[in-house]
Amino acid sequence: MSQEVVGSKGIVERDEFVRILGEALYSLGYKRTGDCLEEESGIQSHSFVVKLFIQQIIDGEWDESLKSLRVISLTYANISALPFLLILEQKFFRLLEEGNFGEALKTLRDDITPRCITVYEDRIRDLSVLLLRQSSVHQSRLKSGQDLLEELRDVLPPVVILRKNGLVHLVEQALLFQRDSCRLHNSTNLSLFTDHHCGKEQIPSVTIQTLYGHRDQIWLLQFSHKGEYLASSSKDCQVIVWEVDDFGSVSMKYRLAGHVRPVSCISWSPNDDQLLTCGDEEVIRRWDIATGECLQIFATPNFRMVSCAWGPDGNSIFFGARYGKLDHVHMLDLQGNELKRWRTSRNSELGITDKALITILRNSEITLIEWDSDSHMHISFKRPIVSFALSEDRKFLLVSLSNQQIFLWSPTKGVLATYRGHKRSRFVVRSCFGGLGQAFIASGSEDTKVYIWHRDSGELLLKLSGHRGVVNCVSWNPVNPHMLASGSDDCTIRIWGLLNQ
Amino acid sequence: MGRIFVVDLEGRTYRCKFCKTHLALADELVSRSFHCRRGKAYLFNSAVNITYGPHEERMMLSGMHTVADIFCCCCGQIVGWKYEAAHEKSQKYKEGKFVLERGRIMDGVDSEFYIDTRPTMIMSDAEDV
Repeated sequence: MSQEVVGSKGIVERDEFVRILGEALYSLGYKRTGDCLEEESGIQSHSFVVKLFIQQIIDGEWDESLKSLRVISLTYANISALPFLLILEQKFFRLLEEGNFGEALKTLRDDITPRCITVYEDRIRDLSVLLLRQSSVHQSRLKSGQDLLEELRDVLPPVVILRKNGLVHLVEQALLFQRDSCRLHNSTNLSLFTDHHCGKEQIPSVTIQTLYGHRDQIWLLQFSHKGEYLASSSKDCQVIVWEVDDFGSVSMKYRLAGHVRPVSCISWSPNDDQLLTCGDEEVIRRWDIATGECLQIFATPNFRMVSCAWGPDGNSIFFGARYGKLDHVHMLDLQGNELKRWRTSRNSELGITDKALITILRNSEITLIEWDSDSHMHISFKRPIVSFALSEDRKFLLVSLSNQQIFLWSPTKGVLATYRGHKRSRFVVRSCFGGLGQAFIASGSEDTKVYIWHRDSGELLLKLSGHRGVVNCVSWNPVNPHMLASGSDDCTIRIWGLLNQ
Repeated sequence: MGRIFVVDLEGRTYRCKFCKTHLALADELVSRSFHCRRGKAYLFNSAVNITYGPHEERMMLSGMHTVADIFCCCCGQIVGWKYEAAHEKSQKYKEGKFVLERGRIMDGVDSEFYIDTRPTMIMSDAEDV
């Protein structure tokens, strides 16, 4: 056997490579090609006796397979008693099933015990007990030939019987390594033909579509959870639901009219079939997406609604309401029955995680209140908080401060990263998570550009120009990592996509 | 022009006379003895809901200072100035503090109206008493 190597790094041995190639061909079902490879290379994936052994196990010929195993153990030094025990156990169990107790005793006494007593005393005791009780064997202990083969593959040295799909396993490892090393990873196709590497060309950077439909500034944007719809809210007091088709084209589906104040809060139900909208210090409306109709209005005399959010199960609704100088956050079921209420200071942002509601207290404190236990957590920031956004998995918060800093924050790990560069001095400018694995952060800015950062490192990646006014809000399609929407004072929404889309 | 971000203060506050936006807490008042061309002015430790003009070198009776005019973020009216730097050691205590003109703010508690009969001017000076 030659000790040649394959490849330029000198770490792949030729013999091993050809052997796993052969195994791959046999696994794929190309037996003739596998045989051809063995003939032409002179290297066998499995030696003749190992091939015989494998076939005997599959066919359930225990005695013959034991003979073969003994031959194999002459060539390979480090074969323990365990593979013998596994085969003999199967033989023993079959004999018990057939009621052949005499033969079973013989097997236990003459074959199993001498070979295995030193290491596997407990197992032999188990078998003796079974024999004494003459009980039937539990179905799960009787293994088919294939299952036994897989067990034997694990306990025999890998050089004797090659692991199944060894070549595919190595290729998968390489692809995963490429994907994990890809810093700006934002595409789903991993090809075997080239090394995978995402550059900035995989991040949305050109305007694919401009949406006209609102008559005034765009203040809020939110894609639905499944990425099929985009809801936009404008100073013109209307909410438009846009539909995203299979080719990524966006068109107007409904114009939701009814609010008399601009909508300051939008929340999609967990399964995207309904939408909650909250007019600024006005009322909350619940809309049905299939028909575009308003199903319900939440309003109380003397109370003005300031924020709204769906509970994670889709059966409860949270909203903030203002009465004079007091603010409360309420939890209701869909029938309108109040479940719970919390007092807060003046605020108008609301977020919901799996078990807590998030709001802002005293201008610069993020507060999490668990709705079951009422336990709360406060995180103070040095400056007033302008807005916050939750990641899709609801485990991370993006907190925008009035001093043009955006923080990435988690309840368990605190501040993880800071994002800077955009401009904000007067207006509410929003930011969002996005891209594959939510690995990017996007934000609007008062200099009319959309800013995109790398989430983990905080590096500013792109500044997208095009809008003619302050970019107030952004939303990244949770399902399409190449679709980003931005809304601006220029009354338009821009859909950004890849350069060569 | 976007949704203006406004902070609400709790407690007794001084507000913009024109649009009632909160500008400063009464607790943050340092001195009532400041003056500007239009009359009295108050010195505060901190102020909110304001936007800044550019830094300027301005000669005031108390010496040369680097100041920035401040404007109400909602209505855009000038409401006073911020001391960015003082060139003389005795004036250093003013650095980082805000001056709000009495004629442009209203007290949160008593809603008196101060009617300004003097002509408006863009620049303002300060003079310590």
